[in-house]
Amino acid sequence: MSILDTAVGWLRYGEPAEGSAPAGRPGPNGSRPRLQTDPARRRYRDVRELIAGVHNPTPLVRLNRVGPAGAEGYLKLEWFNPFGSIKDRTALYLLEGMRRRGELAGRELVEPTSGNTGIALAALAALEGIPLTVTIPSGAPQEKITLLRMLGATVMATPDDLCPVDNPSDGAIALARAVADSPAHRGRYAMPNQYANPDNVRAHYETTGPEIWEQTEGRVRTFVAGFGTCGTISGVGRFLKERDPSIRVVAVEPQKGHHLPGLKNLQEAKAPAILDRSVLDDVVRVDDGPAYAMARRLFREEGLIVGPSSGAIVAAMARLDGASAGLTVGISPDGGHKYASFYAERLEEEGSG
Amino acid sequence: MNEIALDCRGLLCPLPVYQASRAINRLLPGQVLRVECTDPGSLADFPALARQRGLTLVSAEERDGVQMFRLRRELAA
Repeated sequence: MSILDTAVGWLRYGEPAEGSAPAGRPGPNGSRPRLQTDPARRRYRDVRELIAGVHNPTPLVRLNRVGPAGAEGYLKLEWFNPFGSIKDRTALYLLEGMRRRGELAGRELVEPTSGNTGIALAALAALEGIPLTVTIPSGAPQEKITLLRMLGATVMATPDDLCPVDNPSDGAIALARAVADSPAHRGRYAMPNQYANPDNVRAHYETTGPEIWEQTEGRVRTFVAGFGTCGTISGVGRFLKERDPSIRVVAVEPQKGHHLPGLKNLQEAKAPAILDRSVLDDVVRVDDGPAYAMARRLFREEGLIVGPSSGAIVAAMARLDGASAGLTVGISPDGGHKYASFYAERLEEEGSG
Repeated sequence: MNEIALDCRGLLCPLPVYQASRAINRLLPGQVLRVECTDPGSLADFPALARQRGLTLVSAEERDGVQMFRLRRELAA
């Protein structure tokens, strides 16, 4: 059974347990098994079934004190995914695509990631007994590295000065590529490559985008997400533009040398191959200061325990002119728990404990 | 053992530098790290790595497409 089958499995919850009867057989009165959509009666066969999808969306929560002035602002809370971030969707689609193309058989995985994709891939790979090596850029929080190790992943930390000659800012990507392609490894490693793999975009085109459309009943007017692997902005952007080309798609870009894990400044890092610039209406630059200030406001004024990149995205939402932005949806890629050490430093610096 | 061997043949850049860097972390004063590699980028990388990590590049030679570098951690002055 493919992992995508299990991911939408709760829809078939009304059926007998797997193995006791053929899946999808007609019920006693000849009808198809009833879809169990009552949240109060929902059970899950496997943690993978908790990964969000159109019938199991992550929450869309109204921003009441921050957000675009004079317009409805909503934040989509991706940390409600079981492994803690929006990357659960990506990892599921990446693995399923590789399996379909026969790229997984007997191989190990290697992937460059600032942490969240690694955590989701590590959990999924662990469930299937596939070894995973993760190359992680310097500056990733210790909490993420610890979670990766807890999940059994091999972590290769990539120092900024790893390549003493040209110091590329994408050292983790180069290192993962080298692990995958080195002749000495004889094709032992397969690399999902979230930066270039269309399945990353497809995850958001097929789940995140339709969820936003359904949850706003088609009223969404502006969508805000960050530049990272660019899977979210490209996939959701394409879905929304197909529904209504006048929906505005806004990308958030951090400063150079930023401290916002998961986001990328596309002047210092190579633009990911999957970035579809045709869906972008605006790119908003948000520096570390305003991003962390907004993260703190989200904690204190909205009760939302978000990661730093959510702060950047909501800071961009707050700068929009509400009258023209209309109903605005921003992405909160992950929650704040993994960044306790980052936040501790910020609190120290700001001396406000 | 005063010389530690690291076989990076068949590894693409930046893996040789990554592995050498980890080996250097464990290198004791007076010890030499001998690295063999085949990635052409190594020719520029290893002299730079030696400078960056304060090691002496004792030798750098190439034979039959294999580069060999020897880097020594000097005894503390």
